[in-house]
Amino acid sequence: MSPSTGHEDATGGAPVSPSRRSVLRGAAGVGAVGFAAAAGVGALAAPALAADNHRTAKAEVPLTARPADAAGAPLVIYLRDGGSGELDVFSGTSHAVVRDPALVARLTAAVRPSLAAQKRG
Amino acid sequence: MSSHREAPEISKDPVADSTDVYAFVSPENPDTVTLIANYIPLEAPDGGPNFFEFGDGVLYAINIDNDGDGVADITYQFQFTSDITDNTTFLYNTGPITSLTSPSWNRRQTYSVTRVDHTGTHVLGTGIPCPPCNIGPLSTPDFTGLVADAITTLTPGTTVLAGQRAEGFYVDLGAVFDLGDLRPFEQDHNTFGLSGTGLGQMAAGVNSTAGVNVHSIAIQVPIKELTASGKMPTSVTAPHAVLGVWTTASRQKAHILGSSPAEDVHSGPFTQVSRLGNPLVNEVLIPMSEKDYWNMQPPSEDKQFSFTISHPELAGLLPVLYPGVFPNLATYVAGGTARADLLAILLTGIPTGVVPGFQNYTGKVQADMLRLNVAIPPTTTGASNLGLIGGDPAGFPNGRRVFDDVVTIELRAIAGVTLPLVDPSYMPDGAAGAISMGLTSGASDLTAMGTENYLSEFPYLGTPYSGFAVPAAS
Repeated sequence: MSPSTGHEDATGGAPVSPSRRSVLRGAAGVGAVGFAAAAGVGALAAPALAADNHRTAKAEVPLTARPADAAGAPLVIYLRDGGSGELDVFSGTSHAVVRDPALVARLTAAVRPSLAAQKRG
Repeated sequence: MSSHREAPEISKDPVADSTDVYAFVSPENPDTVTLIANYIPLEAPDGGPNFFEFGDGVLYAINIDNDGDGVADITYQFQFTSDITDNTTFLYNTGPITSLTSPSWNRRQTYSVTRVDHTGTHVLGTGIPCPPCNIGPLSTPDFTGLVADAITTLTPGTTVLAGQRAEGFYVDLGAVFDLGDLRPFEQDHNTFGLSGTGLGQMAAGVNSTAGVNVHSIAIQVPIKELTASGKMPTSVTAPHAVLGVWTTASRQKAHILGSSPAEDVHSGPFTQVSRLGNPLVNEVLIPMSEKDYWNMQPPSEDKQFSFTISHPELAGLLPVLYPGVFPNLATYVAGGTARADLLAILLTGIPTGVVPGFQNYTGKVQADMLRLNVAIPPTTTGASNLGLIGGDPAGFPNGRRVFDDVVTIELRAIAGVTLPLVDPSYMPDGAAGAISMGLTSGASDLTAMGTENYLSEFPYLGTPYSGFAVPAAS
């Protein structure tokens, strides 16, 4: 648009030229909403604000369109914290948590032989 | 932008990056709602030979909450599969693509559509073809014909299309992110005391998204298949007349790289990596440090963001960037009062009694969703790109139409235009109602610079720019 083209204001009334700061400062009411606030405060009371920083687990899509749990699907095993003794096991679209400290220890030893040796020592 | 590249991590995963979502009563078929979710920001039309496509590993969804709890009651899920028909060529196509089964078309996608609701999981279609990208007059000589062939009826009244479309969202991004230097108001910017910037002369806005494409998932569904009552509401105040709508993209938790892409393993539950309801919420209101976390959250948990949304950083910046222009806003911000108007518009909807003849309230649960009152008919004459604040109740924030000037609407709201809804004593600054991107000639302009090709019927977003006609360097 041309810079000189007026902008229709929010009231739907006459165009408001943006060409001067004085216009921008404008008469009170130019920027008012284009509809009547019939009930005002009572009908739209400010909800109680909870400025908490509560954090929830991220959303997981509960159902999926593509069945992916067919037999033979590879397993992906994730060990986030060896100290917990827990493994995350993924297959298809499934997820299970398996608690097996002995298995965790063996897996840890397999990939960190020197560390395991230190712990044993 | 609306939600293009709005968060650090998702900006590196464009096929899963939602850019816009639209929800409106279909003008040409008013017993249906059209839902559109856009992905892949800023597609250069000539981006070959690997032209843009949806992500095969991404679970795309359009979610509908019909009882106000911020949890999806109905979800339409879309999953894509890519195929190469000729392993010997590097080309996307080896001749004109004259049909959706053309042997000249080497790289194509099909998709499935599944509806998940309280009755179970319903596969509505599989192997549905996407049209190709719009490459040029030799490769896609009848592009609109290919699109027409790709529009698929899933069930009586339910129609779907997934593929490339022209970007419909418009914004002067370069101005917004150059420290809020809106070109029509350059002369009032403080310019941080810099001189010799070449600024200071008001100028027309520049549409940053002109000439680029997106990938759209568009579905038109009978209203009675979305409402909690299973009926078409006839009263604006009818219970459950309001639908909450948002889109999500999810990826499986585990990804193991194989020795070739074919041996890659994707495993585990799908976990959400992108979401979008109201435009600009994550883009403008959520701090950068929380944007990717926000993307992972369901709307039902948005209460945790209410403080940030009700104390928008931008409201505090406007009086600083434009000294003396927003004195009333500056005073209000300094008082620290929460912006209940923004919470209503973005997180709960507007209750009955605030705007005569209008409501899109879904209850006390704060959730970022587009809220569409399906009992409000489409505006067929005299529509305003300013939607509700322009006196047009069929437009944003009552859902969102493709031509709604959502940037201007939200900037004006943040600047205080909607504050009198909750505080009648507040007098908006004159400038608040004059803020504009400078991309339309006024509220009745439904074209926007660079987006003149909106369609009047499904899929509403225009024919994508062809690579031959709109090279990226232009």
